[in-house]
Amino acid sequence: MGDFLQGLSMVTNFSTVFWCAFGSVLGIILGALPGLTATMGVALVIPVSYNLSNTATGIGLLLSVYCGAVCGASIPAILLGIPGNPNAIATVEDGQLMTRKGLAGQALGGAVIASMIGGLGSEIFLIFFSPLIARMTLAFGPAEKTTLALVGLVIIAAVSGKNILKGLLMGALGFVFAFFGKDPVSGIVRIPFADLLRQTPLANGFDMTSTLIGLYGVSQVFSEIPNLKKTQDRVVAANIGSVFPPLRKIGQMWKIILSSLGIGTLVGAIPGTGASIAVFMAKNAATGICDASKGKLEKPGTGCLEGVFAPEVANNAVTGGALIPALSLGIPGDSATAVLIGALMINGVTPGFALFSQNMPLVYSLFITLTIANIFMGVFQLAGVKVYPKVLLISQRLLMPIVLILSFIGSYALAGSSVEKGLFNVGTALFMGLVGYAMKKNGYPLAPIVLGLILGGMFEEQFRKAMKLGAGTMSRFVSSPICWVFFLISVAIVVSTSVKNRRENGK
Amino acid sequence: MKRILTVVLTAVVAISVVFAGGSSESSFPDPEKPITIIVPQGAGGGTDLQTRTLAAAMEEITGQKILVENVTGGSTGTGTNQVIDSPADGYTLLMYGTYVVCGTMTGNTIGHEGLDFISGLSMEPFMIAVQKDSQFKTLDDFIKYAKANPGKVTIGNAGATATTGVVAYGLDVACGKVFNVIDCNGGAELIPYVIGKHIDAGIFSQSEVKSNINDLRPLVFLGSGHSVVPEFAKVPNLKEAGYGDLTVPAGCFRGICAPKGTPDAAKKWLANAFEKAYKSDAFQNFLKENGLLGPFTKLDKFEA
Repeated sequence: MGDFLQGLSMVTNFSTVFWCAFGSVLGIILGALPGLTATMGVALVIPVSYNLSNTATGIGLLLSVYCGAVCGASIPAILLGIPGNPNAIATVEDGQLMTRKGLAGQALGGAVIASMIGGLGSEIFLIFFSPLIARMTLAFGPAEKTTLALVGLVIIAAVSGKNILKGLLMGALGFVFAFFGKDPVSGIVRIPFADLLRQTPLANGFDMTSTLIGLYGVSQVFSEIPNLKKTQDRVVAANIGSVFPPLRKIGQMWKIILSSLGIGTLVGAIPGTGASIAVFMAKNAATGICDASKGKLEKPGTGCLEGVFAPEVANNAVTGGALIPALSLGIPGDSATAVLIGALMINGVTPGFALFSQNMPLVYSLFITLTIANIFMGVFQLAGVKVYPKVLLISQRLLMPIVLILSFIGSYALAGSSVEKGLFNVGTALFMGLVGYAMKKNGYPLAPIVLGLILGGMFEEQFRKAMKLGAGTMSRFVSSPICWVFFLISVAIVVSTSVKNRRENGK
Repeated sequence: MKRILTVVLTAVVAISVVFAGGSSESSFPDPEKPITIIVPQGAGGGTDLQTRTLAAAMEEITGQKILVENVTGGSTGTGTNQVIDSPADGYTLLMYGTYVVCGTMTGNTIGHEGLDFISGLSMEPFMIAVQKDSQFKTLDDFIKYAKANPGKVTIGNAGATATTGVVAYGLDVACGKVFNVIDCNGGAELIPYVIGKHIDAGIFSQSEVKSNINDLRPLVFLGSGHSVVPEFAKVPNLKEAGYGDLTVPAGCFRGICAPKGTPDAAKKWLANAFEKAYKSDAFQNFLKENGLLGPFTKLDKFEA
């Protein structure tokens, strides 16, 4: 209880509430703008969070942007049929149909309520399970962590993009970026042309945040350049209608809500997966539930509230679920939490068992800010339901330069007072932006690079530790049942996905 | 609508350019310019927590913005070098510790030769501890078993050249190199590995053992005399454990340093500000809770 009160006192101040509110609105807007993702939103506010005096405040800002961006994506999905980001891809079908029926308001309002249920519901799982899982992670030694990192990387390679080989290649590229800089054991500089470049900031490797800003912010700007010349004529429905869906209807959907909540939380908690899988699974499950309801519920796909609720509960449930492995193991649940882990470390929070055994007040403050973030997300999106659609009228020609400027200012500011390091970070962001652009253009997925980048350092360090513990042999891997399970999962995923890829390509 | 946004955007850019421009440094400190304390160790460990507590207290007292940055690697040499290479203007400081001496010995940094001493803060004693159900009940059990089974017993530390690393390797050499010494990345990584029985024993700072008192059992107190923490008052010291002739670092000294050549006025302001922060209730409580020993010193010469 003392820990909880201490955590509460860390967040009950004006600045935390202010930054959470700011983060929510910013997140909703970023989420609503097609092309800007939750991951990018989080990456862009890291430099701001780092400069807030209180760690809990900085984390509150990051979580608010994350939750807001997941929820905000439903706005263009419903009104325009374009998802703001991949979180809303399954909302498009029913959302659009409802808009055509003149029920846009109900769809928008329903999506917000569903998102709040998903966010707060999954947080309950997070609060109850992460300390338990943190305790369970004591069974994870260096060997187990090495294989877990492998599983995470294989899963993301399998689910992002159409070809697992491309995904694995990108994961490997992430590893390469992670290995730049000093050897974690001997301190020897590992860079090309080491003699020439050892005096430059490159000797310390790429700056993680600048790399992320480059891959997600700068590269998006490059991708949008061809679209800037097109005139934009989006027509946003003028008459939105009533915003609140009937309460009785929501009550009738309790089975859908629970199943989506469960699916979202679970999928979120599996390292490497993310909302884009969870939303389709939730919608499928909802279709089954509707079939079984004998006509009481309408079937998703026909332009009904059920088809909006199922994916919208699930995508926000992913946020709480993805934080479970992120906080207890330091392994991200999806690419947005991958960025979040990087941000947490910058803000002085090292995820893992020690966080729960030594710094419970901070954990509680994190849970409280997440609650605030979820509530603000709902309140601000409902309050502004008629205003946010106007955001969709902002021209990409104005938006993209702003994103570019923010990307460079952000990576420069990260370096603090060192001009040399600041310029190096801007260069990193630009370089990674070009890399990301080239990859996207050629159909290579970006998410595995980010996971490779986060997991690469961990993979190397833990592998070397496991080998040392085994006195130079693989004995620590061989003797651990957990390692065998993870290893078999990895093999099964690679085999099944390549078979699936081959069949799809053969068509 | 469009025009307004363009104006706002131009204003934002203009303002950021103004802020990026240099300001003339008349008196220390410029209230607009944050002071950065670099911790050459990972976030979440004992050194990091102490720095953050101190920084928060100092920020509250002086109103000056204080940032804490973790720069790890090179056995604390990377962070130390970053401070040594920073402008000697008092805006970049180092959370100095016994570990910097270790970083110097490995040749990763020139260490205190490139630094000016601002203030000494605390001394934290070390302990050797095992998981609470471990077969090893005393230090003697532990060392005898290791000697009987060379290479089988693992002992962890917070980093090869962290001070706890010096303890681990010192112990290993003194026992005839019978241990498999595992270098972890800070206490935050070492703690779960020992509690999870992946590593047999670890060299911990006292506060780390105290935070995990239900899971760890201390075998020996490496400081002089006995611990001031009531729970550990009965933990034997090296002499009582029968290894009085073993000489290893007894703990970690911590303090604040600035790059060599920092102006005296800045150093004086900093030393006084750190003194006030040191005396604050928040920092004193932190020292007491963690069983750390003072006393505060300022602008001394290096003793090392």
